[in-house]
Amino acid sequence: MWLMYALLVPTLAVAAYGFYHRIKPWFVGKPLDRLDRPAQRIVRLLKLGLLQQKTIRERYAGFFHQMIFWGFIVLFIATTVVLIDYDFQVPIMRGAFYLYFQSFFVDVLGLLFLVGIALAGWRRWWFRPPALVYTKEASLILALLFVIGATGFLIEGWRIAATNDPWGAWSPVGNVIAKISRPLFSEDALLILHRSFWWLHMGTTFAFLAWAPYTKMAHVLLSPANIYLGNLDPIGGSLKPVDFESSEIFGVNSLAQFTWKDLADLDACTECGRCTASCPANNSGKPLSPRDIILDLQKLSRRGEPQAPLIGATVSLSSESLWNCTTCAACVEACPVSIEQLPKIIDLRRHLVMDQAEFPEMMQDALGSLENRGHPFRGTQATRLDWVGDLDIPEWGEGQTYDVLYWVGCAGALVERNQKTVRATAQLLKTAGVRFAILGRDEKCTGDLARRIGNEFLFETVAKENIERLQSLGVTKVVTSCPHCFNTFANEYPRLGGAFEVQHHSVFLADLVRNGRLKPSRAIEETVTFHDPCYLGRHNGEYDAPRELVQISIGKDPIEMPRSRERSFCCGGGGGLSFVEEPTDQRVSHRRAAEAVESGADTVAVGCPFCMTMLEDAVNAKSGDRPVKVKDVAEILWQAVNQQA
Amino acid sequence: MNIVVCLKQVLDPEIPARDFKINKERREAERGSANLVTSIFCANALETALQFRDIHGGKITVLTYGTVAAEDVLRKAIALKADDAVLVLNDQSSSPDPLQVASVLAAAIKKIDAVNLILVGRESADWGAGQTGGLVAEILGLPCLAFVDHIDLVDGSLRIRRQTETGRDVYMATPPIVLTITNDDHNLPRVPKTKDVMLSSRKPITKWSLTDLGIEPTPGYLKVAELGIPEKNTMCEFVDGETLDDKVATLARKIADVIQG
Ligand code: SF4
Ligand code: SF4
Repeated sequence: MWLMYALLVPTLAVAAYGFYHRIKPWFVGKPLDRLDRPAQRIVRLLKLGLLQQKTIRERYAGFFHQMIFWGFIVLFIATTVVLIDYDFQVPIMRGAFYLYFQSFFVDVLGLLFLVGIALAGWRRWWFRPPALVYTKEASLILALLFVIGATGFLIEGWRIAATNDPWGAWSPVGNVIAKISRPLFSEDALLILHRSFWWLHMGTTFAFLAWAPYTKMAHVLLSPANIYLGNLDPIGGSLKPVDFESSEIFGVNSLAQFTWKDLADLDACTECGRCTASCPANNSGKPLSPRDIILDLQKLSRRGEPQAPLIGATVSLSSESLWNCTTCAACVEACPVSIEQLPKIIDLRRHLVMDQAEFPEMMQDALGSLENRGHPFRGTQATRLDWVGDLDIPEWGEGQTYDVLYWVGCAGALVERNQKTVRATAQLLKTAGVRFAILGRDEKCTGDLARRIGNEFLFETVAKENIERLQSLGVTKVVTSCPHCFNTFANEYPRLGGAFEVQHHSVFLADLVRNGRLKPSRAIEETVTFHDPCYLGRHNGEYDAPRELVQISIGKDPIEMPRSRERSFCCGGGGGLSFVEEPTDQRVSHRRAAEAVESGADTVAVGCPFCMTMLEDAVNAKSGDRPVKVKDVAEILWQAVNQQA
Repeated sequence: MNIVVCLKQVLDPEIPARDFKINKERREAERGSANLVTSIFCANALETALQFRDIHGGKITVLTYGTVAAEDVLRKAIALKADDAVLVLNDQSSSPDPLQVASVLAAAIKKIDAVNLILVGRESADWGAGQTGGLVAEILGLPCLAFVDHIDLVDGSLRIRRQTETGRDVYMATPPIVLTITNDDHNLPRVPKTKDVMLSSRKPITKWSLTDLGIEPTPGYLKVAELGIPEKNTMCEFVDGETLDDKVATLARKIADVIQG
């Protein structure tokens, strides 16, 4: 017995040193407050940690992870109980508790644990999905866990056999082993087997304990910690501001320029690959893998060179990879342990744009136009008022008051196809009797594009101008047609002093219908599927309002694509990518369009001008002979409301 | 090498054509909502100079003749790391007269010390006369090569590549020389680093008046007599007729009518 404790001390010391080694690199990071709002954090930990709400989204892996997870916890409790009872001589292993919990329940959970490990091994060695990282470490972890579980059952069985335990039947697995073993071995042999396997069991357990913190198994402690410390705000608000006054370097190109939380993220990674499996850029064959970004940064972090340049250090950190990110946040949403891949990608892009002035030419053109002309559509022949035509819409002048400012957005006003959407929206607002106005020619880009590409300086400049202008006009409520504009107003302007009440047109229109101010008069005979825009859905959690509009307009629920709501697949247009020519065989939009066409719907409904342009081309290319249309939810509603349309 | 790059501020030529308006009375373009930007070939000239300096070193002075607003063009050039900036103030309205502009630029270049390479855009994005470079060379008594898209330094001589209708010419030249620069894949204007943009507002700009240069404001040699936007009318007419022969005959008659006016 004393020998076991003598071994436990160095084991724990090695493990503790391992953890220390994992945590030490975090301290080079910059400060960030992630201990606020403890109540919300605990709820988050319970949901994502204890209830495993994200791992279970993936059926097979979620299933076996639950088995291993609960098996691990229960076995851990059981071992502690033995420790307290046996070694500290506190008699708690008694009576019903002993039988129901310590014998029966633990036995069943132990079995689930073993089956879970087997299923994990089956996936790793047989199915070999590309999402996983195939290392010797990962294989050895599974093997060790299996040995620990299996030897645990063997010693239990042999104990029952050797002592003729009258309560043996309460441990079903142990009992079966006892029944098989009794005719095979003598009592002495059983004792020897028990004793030697006990040492094997303890030896492997200790070895595992000591080694785990150096491996991805550290996630058993680091992941729950990371979930607790995760971002509580909408994903759309998770980009950090840049301090232009005092920083010498803009963006991030070394570990020390990240915050401590960014560095903690790296160590929480379980290598599960869910992020990369859901990444649209990766899915369409481009060299971007959020998992590899995290794991490569983790390796660099452990190497202990916090000042070494990151960009270009590995394939995943090369600029070719970083410029493929559509900022869709599928990775952030998928990660079961609350790692934030996207803000790190933007941090690195900021460095490329602001410090090295090196980024794709077409993005340079778009930002150049944004700077000179207030919109990114270089060479457009449209003006901001073209869509208005014969509609009588007031422009908000000095000294006037309206209830709502309709923020049309550059993509809404200047791209011909989207002019129909904003026209429909304005007509709906008029029909409902909303007192609204537009800025007309004075409207300027919100700056979203500059921010996602990485030019935070340009973003701040245009954002401040916009805020000042709206405040001087006395605007308090804004409705936008573009989820990107919405996100900027909702999550980014407040930090710069511009707090406006803002709604996406789908939400505002759904309210108007609910209040009876808009009455759909005929159901449209169409089947519709809805494509969630990333900046409305994942970035801001609004999934229902646009679906409600479709439901009201066609009299039935929209058809759901396999990937919808928080798992929706990007159109490929975010993050400045709609301004860049994608290689023909790697178009994100074509993959999404194929999915939309396969849903069988006559119409693909969208809620974003960028989704509209990306998907309309792609749907035309993918729909073959079947006519499939792309329409904004506002257009569909206007069709239902307006008799003549 | 001491390089002077002449820059011109123009009305953004990329605004939608329908937004482009003219003041017939004053015979000039109306600003409207258009922004003021650096004329594109001037930006190519600056980029060519920057690339030359990246390799061979030297000093770049950017020079413009314009209103106070033209300072912005110089600030943008400073953000791209031009070493010095000179603004010659023009308090009259924008003059399309290339000779007048060239004499001002030439006088300023004389005042800037020991210049041996002068780069000018091929033509401006507003009036597009394409004469300023040649006239500056004439006034300064320097040789001039036009439509240049690349310069290099070989054994102390300039190796100059210029575009022609059929291909490219390569010349060797001894500075000082004036070059007019055209665009090419290799001299697309670069974007500035943010730090440099922030610093650019602090750098002093030399401002000279015409008196500083000892120039009498001349009335200009060139006068715009009339200015208008060409109107294009398209008409579509379907030719009628009983038989194909009828239609062909009618069509032929109509064509003849148009030709004979
Ligand atoms: S934000 Fe989207 S595109 Fe970018 S890495 Fe994450 S999943 Fe991929
Ligand atoms: S970052 Fe998150 S989702 Fe991606 S591999 Fe790591 S744990 Fe899995």
